[in-house]
Amino acid sequence: MEGEMLKGHLDMIVLAALSAAGPAHGYAIIEEIKRRSGGAFDLPEGTIYPALHRLEQAGLLKSSWMTADSGRRRRVYTLTRTGNRALVERRAVWKQFSEAIGGLLGGTRPREDPA
Amino acid sequence: MIQDYLELLERELNFDRSLSRCVRQEVEDHLWEAVAADLTGDMITAQQRAIANFGDARTVAAQFAVISLARHSRRAGVAAVLVIASVFIAMKARIAWYAAAQWAISEDMRAVGGLVARFDRYAFWMSLIVGLGACVYVVSRQIPATFHPAYRRQLRRFFVLCCAATAALVVSVISDGVLTALQLRGTELSAGFLLSIVSMAIEIACVGILVVHIRGITLRAASTAAVLNA
Repeated sequence: MEGEMLKGHLDMIVLAALSAAGPAHGYAIIEEIKRRSGGAFDLPEGTIYPALHRLEQAGLLKSSWMTADSGRRRRVYTLTRTGNRALVERRAVWKQFSEAIGGLLGGTRPREDPA
Repeated sequence: MIQDYLELLERELNFDRSLSRCVRQEVEDHLWEAVAADLTGDMITAQQRAIANFGDARTVAAQFAVISLARHSRRAGVAAVLVIASVFIAMKARIAWYAAAQWAISEDMRAVGGLVARFDRYAFWMSLIVGLGACVYVVSRQIPATFHPAYRRQLRRFFVLCCAATAALVVSVISDGVLTALQLRGTELSAGFLLSIVSMAIEIACVGILVVHIRGITLRAASTAAVLNA
């Protein structure tokens, strides 16, 4: 899938992955995105980290540092209540949008009668 | 190889030391985990692949630079309001002291004092209103993913508001200084005298803090532009 198309939805993708995975560090979030998308999303992995920082500043995520088994410092992200609400809203908007596009491209959606 | 990549990333972000340290640690963890998960068994290839999958260090740094600029602008907005509030407290404390000590401006200078006090009042309220406006404006903006033209315009507006608030605050503090000088004219050195001087010093320091924050935004904006243009 094209990078530019993905970038517009990156925040929603990260929120959805984190919601599914639970508290996770950057690498685990990227793996979750790959797994759930069947490897369809081909973004440079480094793009996820600025998105995580931006979402944290917006109050949609919170993070804490811990020490991994390897001894390295690891930053673990968690979805906040505001983040959960934002994800629910974005899901609804996306559903509406994809149905509209699906109807437009597939021609399966019955046209509404003009009132 | 990973160390070279991390050093380049850290260097690109060195205008924000805490961010560059934090990003380095986070990316280091990511890259070594990617190497550990690589099935080739060849360390060099695994490191090359991990770096290639992560993306160009300058591109990643540019994205972080925008976030850093946004964060510091927000901080400057909040600092502006806090600084103006601190000036207000210092000013009110001094006036309360004058009232308690029953100090008044001498008769011959009362007209000048009244005029300066009017200037002071208008300048202070203007700085407060504009400073609050700047803070609300910058905090209510979304943090962008890129340094796009619309965001540059928003930053410019915020910068103008901050400069206007600071200019008004400078006028207010200068007026306070003049009023304090009129008040203390002919007064002997005492605890009350020192209290007035200390409260004035606090006001001047507050203006200094605001100027440092505004200068910080311009430096950061220049660093962000440099990272983006590299």
